[in-house]
Amino acid sequence: MAATNQPMIQLKNVGKIYDNGTVGLKDINLNIDKGEFVVVVGLSGAGKSTLLRSINRLQDVSEGDIIIDGKSITSAKGKDLREIRRDIGMIFQSFNLVKRSSVLRNVLTGRVGYYPTWKTTFNLFAKEDKQKAYEALQRVDLADKVYTRADQLSGGQQQRVAIARVLTQNPKIILADEPTASLDPQTSRRVMHDLKMLNEEYGMTVVANLHSVELAKEFGDRVIGVRAGQIVYDGKMSETSQAVFDDIYNGGNGKKGEEDA
Amino acid sequence: MDTTMKKLPPKPVDTKKKIQHWTIAIVTVVLIIWSFVGMDFGGIKASAGQIAGAIVAGIFHPDWSYVYNGSGEDLISQLWETICIAFLGTFISAIISLPFAFWAANTRHKKWYTSRSGKVVLAVIRSFPEIVLALMFIKAVGPGSAAGVLALGFHSVGMLAKLFSEAIENLEEGANEAVTAAGGSKFNIIMFATMPNLMPALISNTLYRFDVSIRSASILGLVGAGGIGYPLIIALQYRQWNRVGVILVGIIVMVVVIDWISGWIRKKLV
Repeated sequence: MAATNQPMIQLKNVGKIYDNGTVGLKDINLNIDKGEFVVVVGLSGAGKSTLLRSINRLQDVSEGDIIIDGKSITSAKGKDLREIRRDIGMIFQSFNLVKRSSVLRNVLTGRVGYYPTWKTTFNLFAKEDKQKAYEALQRVDLADKVYTRADQLSGGQQQRVAIARVLTQNPKIILADEPTASLDPQTSRRVMHDLKMLNEEYGMTVVANLHSVELAKEFGDRVIGVRAGQIVYDGKMSETSQAVFDDIYNGGNGKKGEEDA
Repeated sequence: MDTTMKKLPPKPVDTKKKIQHWTIAIVTVVLIIWSFVGMDFGGIKASAGQIAGAIVAGIFHPDWSYVYNGSGEDLISQLWETICIAFLGTFISAIISLPFAFWAANTRHKKWYTSRSGKVVLAVIRSFPEIVLALMFIKAVGPGSAAGVLALGFHSVGMLAKLFSEAIENLEEGANEAVTAAGGSKFNIIMFATMPNLMPALISNTLYRFDVSIRSASILGLVGAGGIGYPLIIALQYRQWNRVGVILVGIIVMVVVIDWISGWIRKKLV
């Protein structure tokens, strides 16, 4: 599947400078093929989140172009932009569920891009979509929580609801922004397994920011190292040694992990 | 090592600041004296004690026959009308407030002048007192409770939309981003993420406003906009102290009970 000549995600000379002058990204060139499981590693403040959030344009970039499955998201507007975003699911560090809504409604949120706004406003989701949402919940073992309010779930369960939401959205790409940072190690592994499942069984391209080198090694196929807004490493996980990780995290000058910038 | 500590230096004398403070103090005192002079205070009237005594006596000897007599002009009916005016006025204003609140809320994806202009509009609405609005609506729809409802409904928008917009500003972005990332439109974001998160604040602020509206509705009748205020001012003018007493008791009971109920509901919401 990865053999198509068109990359799933293509970043061309992407740069991002924040309003206060901070450089978020600098001259990023990157191709990610369909079906890849990419992990992005780097220190806090290195630009991992900025990179990810640029891909579905939760943040605008200052320069360059980002092409999703052949369509430029950087120049898309209105309905076009929403349709490109529909093909890009996102998992957040803080889950970002609507806490006061039921699990089902949260999962159905993944379908909003497929409906005209007035229909979703009156909660007119098709029966098949509700069934699809329920099946997604079964995939993450939360079928019994379908009518529970989201704020009554534990952190790990909430993140799995978020995964069910993405599964219901049925995107081609999944962006996972520190999906495990607020979870304990065991729950983290469970969440990563679910992401891997989406990658392997549904062929979704996964790009995940990870803090944990261990999890990165266990689940990633490809590693991208980010430092100070630039890509400093890009290679297959199987060919990446511990020394490379040390280098990414220590800034290449032996200094031990600087604090959050 | 030198173990002797330095002595605390004397507080630096800042002549400029001293002058400033003294100027402020003098200006304040002058203003107070000036406003006393300008007020034309003719002293307490000789009849004041007598009237105050009569009102107090009226409160302790209320005109119980006025409480309910089935005429529709009695205390219970008038209080009920007051509650209805406050309720309808608050309800209408809560609905009108929502779009205003989204307009005035200063959120991330907005141009600065959008929310600024919204806030100015709300400030203008707020600056009209209910009584003035009631007088204007009486000219428009005639005396009666309709004018009261419109006056309250309009005036409350200023405050309620401001409170709502602040609640919107305090919401976390996360859920909104999730809807955006799934390809949702702005209205999708409002319906799926903002509104459910906003509900407790909406209900709690509306109930609070209802409390305030009950009080306002009690005096709107003074200018003829329906409710308990009208019989109150009539009774005052005809010096029916027993009736004034029973009306005041009625208002106090109503306000306390509504306060208590809405406080209880708001506590449950948190």
